[in-house]
Amino acid sequence: MDFPTEIVGDKGYIRVTSDLDTEVAGEALRAAFNDVYDKGKRTIVLDLSGAQIINSYGIGKVLMCYKRLKAEKGVLMVKPLNGFVKETFELLMLDKLLPEDK
Amino acid sequence: MSVASTPPNILLADGDASSRETLGSFFERHGWLYDVVVEPSLLDSALDKARYDIVIADVALPGVDSLALLRGILEKHPTQAIIALGKESSYDEALNYFRSGATDMLARPVDLGWLERVVRQVVCSRRTEERERLSYKFVTSERTEMVFSCADIIELDTVPLPIVGRLESIGALDHGEALKVRLAVQEAVLNALEHGNLGLESRWKEEVRANGEDRFAEVRRERLLDPKYSERSVYVAVEYRSGVLHISIRDEGQGFLNLKGMPEAKKSAQSVSCSGRGLALISSAVDEVSFDHNGSEVTLRKSTKHLRRG
Repeated sequence: MDFPTEIVGDKGYIRVTSDLDTEVAGEALRAAFNDVYDKGKRTIVLDLSGAQIINSYGIGKVLMCYKRLKAEKGVLMVKPLNGFVKETFELLMLDKLLPEDK
Repeated sequence: MSVASTPPNILLADGDASSRETLGSFFERHGWLYDVVVEPSLLDSALDKARYDIVIADVALPGVDSLALLRGILEKHPTQAIIALGKESSYDEALNYFRSGATDMLARPVDLGWLERVVRQVVCSRRTEERERLSYKFVTSERTEMVFSCADIIELDTVPLPIVGRLESIGALDHGEALKVRLAVQEAVLNALEHGNLGLESRWKEEVRANGEDRFAEVRRERLLDPKYSERSVYVAVEYRSGVLHISIRDEGQGFLNLKGMPEAKKSAQSVSCSGRGLALISSAVDEVSFDHNGSEVTLRKSTKHLRRG
């Protein structure tokens, strides 16, 4: 499984195309993140619209991305969220941590 | 295989006029009932007006987000069977359709023999489910016990919870509640595997290597290959009794959480630690969470809606 990435200007975009609740999906996110990060981008946007479900494993992977960027004064952003993923982010207050890329 | 007494009732949403004609003739030849909409945007109102055994939906229309379309239908009509009709697709594309709720996929040009088989299978299965659904309203208690090895859990995307499915089908749990219960069980089973049976420590998730991998993942991989850890089991018991769903998950480790765990979990839910959110997610999904056997057993309780029988 691969998550597509794209560079637009100063930002790197990662499109998560499956639920983020398995090791396979977590590894795909890590690989996509590394791809954009290694291209020097320190503002990275996650598009989670392809995920219906995220669990603590997936959230852990997202926060790992957040921490790697923060260590270099970078920013992890998310595209506007929907449904269960949005609910989960709000429950865990991640919506306060990760700004929206509108 | 014979379809039960009433003929299949199909809603065809197809943007291709000649395909509509071919499929319409095919349905008529078999005595099947069908309605047609020519645009996916009309699917929603058609489904509000009538019930169909199957929706056959063109998912290759330009400018239409087909995955969102499928999800939208299933959000309003969670049990609707949908056959996605489209181009030959890659494995990943097909997987996305199934993950979005498609019952099956058919590529153009449609193999009519295959279509007939799929329709008969879906209808037969739906009629059986309907009979079971009606009779399940009279069940007052049910219990299922399952045992999984560590390797089983790695292989499984989700733990099978047929009782939850049955409660959802009769309306005792709504779709959102059932989804949250399933995810809560998945979280608890993963806790049992990782912190219980494999003895992994959450703080290892903070030790991230230059390649982005953390120590937790490394040790997890090693211990899954070590029989001392990997031969331990996880026990899942699901019981529906007097309108309450009780789900217990037990591991064979030292106990993945002590009684002080809940406040710590809530605290870490607000921090940027890479771990500790599982219990917050579990707590939000059910009415009560309790621990036993030094934390190696967790029990989740969820009240269901009062059922009207008949």
